[in-house]
Amino acid sequence: MSDLVRVTPEPPTPSPQNEVNAPKLRSERRFLAGVPLSEERFFLLLAVFIGIFSGLAVVCFRLAIDWTRIGVLGPAPEPHNLRVLLAPALGGVLVAVLVIHLFPLVRGSGVNQTKAALYIFNGYIPFRTAIGKFITAAIAIGSGHSLGPEDPSLQIGASIASALGRRMDFSREKLRLLAPIGAAAGLAAAFNAPISAVLFVIEEVIGRWSAGILGSVVLAAISSVVVVRGFLGTQPLFRIPPLTVFRPTELLAYVVLGVVGGFGAVIFAKAIGYLRPRLRTLPAPTQYLQPALAGLLIGLIGYFGAPQIMGAGYEYIDQAMHDQFTWKVLAVLAGLKILATTLSFVSGTPGGMFAPALFVGAMLGGAVGGVERHFYPHLTGTTGTYALVGMGVLFAGFLRAPMTSVFMVIELSGNYSIIIPVIIANSFAYFISRSFQPVPIFDLLTRQDGLDLPSLEELREETSLHVEDAMKPPPSPVLNSEETVQDAVAQIQPASSNSFLVRLRPTGWTSISREALQRFSNEGKGEMTLGSLLASQRLPYLHPDYPLEMALRYVNQTPLVPVVSRADLRKLEGVISSEDVLAKYRVVVQ
Amino acid sequence: MPELTLKPLTGRTPTVIAGLTILAVLGFLGVGRLVSRFQEQQKALARHLYQRGFAEQQTGKLDLAVQHFRAALGYDPDNFQYQLSLARSLRDSGRTDEAEAYLISLWERSPQNGAVNLALGRLAVRQARIDKIIQYYHNAIYGVWDSDAERNRLNAWFELVGVLLRLNARAQAQAELIALSVNLPPKPELLMPAADLFAQAQDYDHALGEYRRVLQIDHTNANAAAGAAEMAFKLGRYRTADRYLEIASKANPRDEQISNMLQISKFILQQDPFSRGLSAQDRSVRIRSILQEAGKRLDTCMSSQPQGANQVQQPVGLSQLKAQWTEMTRRLHRLGAAGESGLADEVMDLVLQIEQQTSSCAPGPRDQALLLLAQSRAGVEQ
Repeated sequence: MSDLVRVTPEPPTPSPQNEVNAPKLRSERRFLAGVPLSEERFFLLLAVFIGIFSGLAVVCFRLAIDWTRIGVLGPAPEPHNLRVLLAPALGGVLVAVLVIHLFPLVRGSGVNQTKAALYIFNGYIPFRTAIGKFITAAIAIGSGHSLGPEDPSLQIGASIASALGRRMDFSREKLRLLAPIGAAAGLAAAFNAPISAVLFVIEEVIGRWSAGILGSVVLAAISSVVVVRGFLGTQPLFRIPPLTVFRPTELLAYVVLGVVGGFGAVIFAKAIGYLRPRLRTLPAPTQYLQPALAGLLIGLIGYFGAPQIMGAGYEYIDQAMHDQFTWKVLAVLAGLKILATTLSFVSGTPGGMFAPALFVGAMLGGAVGGVERHFYPHLTGTTGTYALVGMGVLFAGFLRAPMTSVFMVIELSGNYSIIIPVIIANSFAYFISRSFQPVPIFDLLTRQDGLDLPSLEELREETSLHVEDAMKPPPSPVLNSEETVQDAVAQIQPASSNSFLVRLRPTGWTSISREALQRFSNEGKGEMTLGSLLASQRLPYLHPDYPLEMALRYVNQTPLVPVVSRADLRKLEGVISSEDVLAKYRVVVQ
Repeated sequence: MPELTLKPLTGRTPTVIAGLTILAVLGFLGVGRLVSRFQEQQKALARHLYQRGFAEQQTGKLDLAVQHFRAALGYDPDNFQYQLSLARSLRDSGRTDEAEAYLISLWERSPQNGAVNLALGRLAVRQARIDKIIQYYHNAIYGVWDSDAERNRLNAWFELVGVLLRLNARAQAQAELIALSVNLPPKPELLMPAADLFAQAQDYDHALGEYRRVLQIDHTNANAAAGAAEMAFKLGRYRTADRYLEIASKANPRDEQISNMLQISKFILQQDPFSRGLSAQDRSVRIRSILQEAGKRLDTCMSSQPQGANQVQQPVGLSQLKAQWTEMTRRLHRLGAAGESGLADEVMDLVLQIEQQTSSCAPGPRDQALLLLAQSRAGVEQ
């Protein structure tokens, strides 16, 4: 059984007193001078506070990382410096001790843990996790481990949200939703990009589109970004150089980038997927040494000439985008970063993969662009353009967040003209990554931890059944409410069915059995209209595009549910029964 | 370790919101203090790293300078001075591609900046791209400078001319110099280099003009006098040259070049048979004297050379020249007679040939003067 499952504490059971009081509190709160504040509104207000607190926490987190880095590695890490060689290893030892003895839940990136909180632990993330993640990730990243601060920020935000939510009397459903709201706030604050953060949380944490939570997630993300920008300025993590407007014929160059990035992402994901479970099965004492050993190898890389791969590396992304490295250097840095991040991550060191993916993407993009321009000097794309597209490519290929990848590039660059090369390159990378690495990296990590959580990628692949797939043609005859009982009896004579649909005026449907019609006739009501006898007994109806699951709610209430046109509610498109629904599901399962 | 617990916030909603607001305000205050300390530290680190880089740049440790400038920019990414210094170090360390890309990005941010354009111009010099050189130097000359704009502009202009001359783009250099000289304030320290550059561009006329401007301001400027004399000499204006050479010679009596030129110019002024206002008799006397001088030169040179050497090396042998000289001496009594109007020119042609053929025999000032006289006559004829 995985560590995650083994060590995650059970969420506290709500007290009986809380349970009794809850309905009143949930339905309506009294705000100030007796103004009612519904749970929904209070939830939105709380989302803003979650954003503010997450933003403050992330600002402190970034300062902690920078102070650690300056203190441990020095203000300007240089090759052939003993600090560079030893700091990651020593940081690794300290982190291992903290993780094993104090903060066992803080291993890895934090995305999966947040997702697990949402789907398994009713939104419960211990507040200790936030503190542990803050300390251990700051030490790890600050001492030079090749990891990023975004995923930890995401988990810190989620922990804060969970801690706040537990002190309110929210319903279980709302409590669950708080974790992704905090996650979006934390990620938005760390990356200074609210739209990308919201999309990433939807794609990777929530794993499905949910309109109900969107408002709160957006509010929290924007609040946190406002807080971070207020303190650290509006400038992004790396400066985007002016991007050249590409010519349509140059799209082929971006296809090449997509292909190279796709294979780079596959190598990256496969290396982590292969090494992580093997290292975790090694004897317990080695868990102390794994981060240190990974740190030592990273230190060696830095010592012998590539300190750029240490830490998050945003300043080097900035330099790459501004043409400060040759394509050969960029290619080497991309390869070394994949190696270093794999080492750091599989050793269980807390930290994220967001920044390393961007780093690898930027370097790979810049390198591919450099090679292409070497052979085809007429290409107009700058290194900055290729690096930016490359970041999107790795995001689509490695993190498998295709929508986030596109919006992230647009949000970072503020340039919509780049959308076509981004979509093309990302599509190729995503396709290659899916072909060679069918399980996305976050799902792979989740499964390695022994959990099975929903993912948007799986959802996309699910066969979606609709009412129209199972419905039958309209039966004959269909009676009208204005017809008399006598006429109706005459119409049903040749029919074999025992139940008939009746169209009501002005709209609505009901049904009547052969026996009921016969009885009305025998009771001398032959001249009365069906409407006068049946108007109060209306049937539910469906539209053809409704999900088939919706039909299940009604087919047990009535033997035949009318399926009517959206344009004309009196027009019968078909009928559906419980047998039809079950028969369709049986076919799909087979 | 027990789970950290927060105090439950299950009071009335206004209390909860007030509590959260107070907590947020306190958080803002605390984080605000931390951030201001952090930013101060970042700026201080950036300055420290920049100063290290600057010192390394000055001592030629360009790779280290690049590293430290980059590190400084990591802490203060928008600092223009740091960026420019990094670009200059990249350029000077031969990483022209990186430097160009970096400078271009700076240029895109601030296309009118004189320092950036000058740096780009210097980069173009390394790549010997004359169109780009002129473009960026012009941008620098007419661009915006943070301080001492006038001096920086003129320096850039002088540098541009020097660069163009080094790249043998003499026409462009002359054009720039003419424009520059028009804009120069009347200061000898600026006019002198302009004059020197004109001289270097072989625009002796303008060079003479600039030296004269200097002398108008400072009559005692020996360098300007020497320059003006040299230019006048090169232009064949020996009377003017003589006047300036006298001034220069008084200021620098031990200057061999000046004294040599002075002797030559004096000899030319004394012996030039084609001076205006000279009587036919005086002209005839001077031509005879010149021919005699050339004959002596020929004899001296023939006696100092091994027998037969000149026959092999020279297209026209010295003995053949001697024969021509003897024939010319014989015809000289007809100088000025009717039908012999071209005789003076024939004499000067022969003198030119003799001086050219005997150039390897350590010519003195008088020989150089004869050569110049003969050349100037040949030039007039052509």
